[in-house]
Amino acid sequence: MIHDDVVGNAPALRTAGLGRRYGHVWGLRDCTLTVPAGAVVGLVGPNGAGKTTLLQMIIGLLQPTEGQLEVFGETTRANSAKALARVGYVAQDHPLYRDFTVADMFHLGRAMNPSWDQGVATARMDALGIPLKRKIKSLSGGQQAQVSLAMALAKRAPLLALDEPVSSLDPIARLDFMRELMAAAADTGVTVIVASHVVSELERLCDWLIVLTGGRMQLAGPVDDLLAAHRLLTVPRATRDAELPGLAIHRADSDRHSTVLVRIDPARLAAQERREWGVEPVGFEQLVLAYLQRPSGASTDNPAQAAARPGPATKEVTR
Amino acid sequence: MFRFRLDSASGVPPYLQLVHQVRQSLLLGYLREGDRLPTVKDVVSDLAINPNTVVKAYRQLEHEGLAGGKPGQGTFITGTLSPATPDTHHALRASLERWLRDADAAGLNDDEVTALIAVARNDMRKEKV
Amino acid sequence: MIWVSWRQSRSQAIACLGVLAALAVYAILVGSSMRTAFSHDGLAACLARSQGTSCPAAVSAFMNKFGSAVNIAFWSVLLIAPGLLGVLVGAPLIARELEFGTWRLAWSQTVPRTRWLAVKLALVTGGLVLLGAAITAVITWYRAPMDRLTGHLINNVYDFEGLVLTAYILCAFGFALLAGLLLRRSIPAMIAAFIPWLAIRLAVEYLLRPNFQAPLTFRQNCASGCSVGAGIGSVPPVTGHIGDWVLGQPAGQSGNQLVSYLYQPADRFWHFQFIEAGLFVALTAAALGAAIWLLHRRPA
Repeated sequence: MIHDDVVGNAPALRTAGLGRRYGHVWGLRDCTLTVPAGAVVGLVGPNGAGKTTLLQMIIGLLQPTEGQLEVFGETTRANSAKALARVGYVAQDHPLYRDFTVADMFHLGRAMNPSWDQGVATARMDALGIPLKRKIKSLSGGQQAQVSLAMALAKRAPLLALDEPVSSLDPIARLDFMRELMAAAADTGVTVIVASHVVSELERLCDWLIVLTGGRMQLAGPVDDLLAAHRLLTVPRATRDAELPGLAIHRADSDRHSTVLVRIDPARLAAQERREWGVEPVGFEQLVLAYLQRPSGASTDNPAQAAARPGPATKEVTR
Repeated sequence: MFRFRLDSASGVPPYLQLVHQVRQSLLLGYLREGDRLPTVKDVVSDLAINPNTVVKAYRQLEHEGLAGGKPGQGTFITGTLSPATPDTHHALRASLERWLRDADAAGLNDDEVTALIAVARNDMRKEKV
Repeated sequence: MIWVSWRQSRSQAIACLGVLAALAVYAILVGSSMRTAFSHDGLAACLARSQGTSCPAAVSAFMNKFGSAVNIAFWSVLLIAPGLLGVLVGAPLIARELEFGTWRLAWSQTVPRTRWLAVKLALVTGGLVLLGAAITAVITWYRAPMDRLTGHLINNVYDFEGLVLTAYILCAFGFALLAGLLLRRSIPAMIAAFIPWLAIRLAVEYLLRPNFQAPLTFRQNCASGCSVGAGIGSVPPVTGHIGDWVLGQPAGQSGNQLVSYLYQPADRFWHFQFIEAGLFVALTAAALGAAIWLLHRRPA
């Protein structure tokens, strides 16, 4: 992948114990992760899980209540120009000013962003066949989403955050949008974080994954590593969770057998595996759904990069 | 230009799907030595997949000696799959047909045959691990 | 950011200019005929000589012609117009962004939200000040002949001339902007701002304004007979000086030979204007300041 070296070697995103409270309710709690530059991150969780809270803190619209947040190695106060400059944002339902023309929207982008690259914006409109003089309200939903994306890309920020950008679009418009997004990622090496609750679409897009439920991080890490660290075991029904070579994430019991998705603890694997057990690799969607279905209070050591490489599962050491 | 396709429902990781498609095409003769594979950007724009997936697939192909990148020019097919010689194929095919006739005589239907093959394969793999 | 503020206010600005233009057209039409009548009826000369006492017939003819019921209704509506104007401009400024979710676009560009608001406020309040001044100028020009008969300290004239009209607009604007931020919907914000504006407006006019400065007393000798209440609203007023604002009689005077009237002299016009405008501008500043502070503190 072609990398834009402007941001050096700092991880795109680093959080430590990040949390945000609204009154008495914690929208997000104890979130710790390190996302490398250039990753395409899928942020998954049911509505109300804390995806929007996390995104808004990353974008710089919301001040954390506790913990630290670094974007490309820098911590800044929310709602400052410095924080806002680092992230391009496509909000849910891609809000635009309906009475503006496309050209007006780009003028706004140019007026409000010092780093604006008008060429990027107009080139996209050319390629998609969207005339600049057209009013936003007369564009289709898919075209509006493309305008929003063009604005976020023309801002030339090193991180791009999208909050359920395609949930209101038809399948063709969805595909077109994702094509443009991935092409931009290929071109510029921009780090992308996409929040979605449509798991099936994320597999082809993401090389990094964060699963949130109930304001807590259930899973976080590179997709390949996470998949390698889990197995789907078919075991006799009587097998207890403690006999399994790792943490049982999701278990489905039938009359005589159980299917368990296990996060493997390599130290226990050799000792505990049985001949009569069926062992299969885990698919992306299976993995995500299993973690989404866990009760949010389920005990787990911090899953962040917990199973990254063979070795004991440990909490990510935060610096 | 060679066009990839992606089956989101197959359960096979995307990068492996790309690798398989190249291998398959090589076997069938649709790809030959010297052909240029599409650029990462081309595949990404076509399929809406993560650029890293394409990079990984191409790296895997390089590792298997099937493709190689020339800086600034793209990725080219450099090798061929050496399928088993026609004689080996013929012999394997003959023993397979015998086995299938035995299974049929024992009363196995198609699903049972497939399941038996899957289980045997699985066990063999585990023995290797 | 200035372009952005302008572009978002553009249709409102055009609508305001339209209102101003309509008002100007009306003013020119009626104002011209007023001026014609004024000179034609010889009122100018009459006033120069006497303060209107020597030509009561001409005066009342003029007043009847141009003080008709339609006119009065028109001007009553116009009393609340500054409030309507202010809330129509102020309520959507923040509320519409919150209502339609475009705040997520507006406040995630590289401009902090407080600066976004500050620039918008500067531009829009500047525009409202210009608009207020223009409306005041048009109405003052229009009323010039009439003002020579009534002065401009009395109610319903005072409210359209000088500084207060602009101040009323600004106050309604400030209230509506703050309400929009708190209620997050434009229409409820308009209503929630208009009601207190109107209440304060009426309270100031009827309770505070007569006492901005201690009123003076005029004693009228009614030994040779004078009708009770003759002085109020007539040209010239009972004090004999055009432009004085007669407030009324203090209580407990029946049966006296000497009738006392409280009044405010005409030359206090500008002093009162400054006080009242200052009051409404202070309210505006408080509302806008609160809005900026709240926006700064708002979680997201």
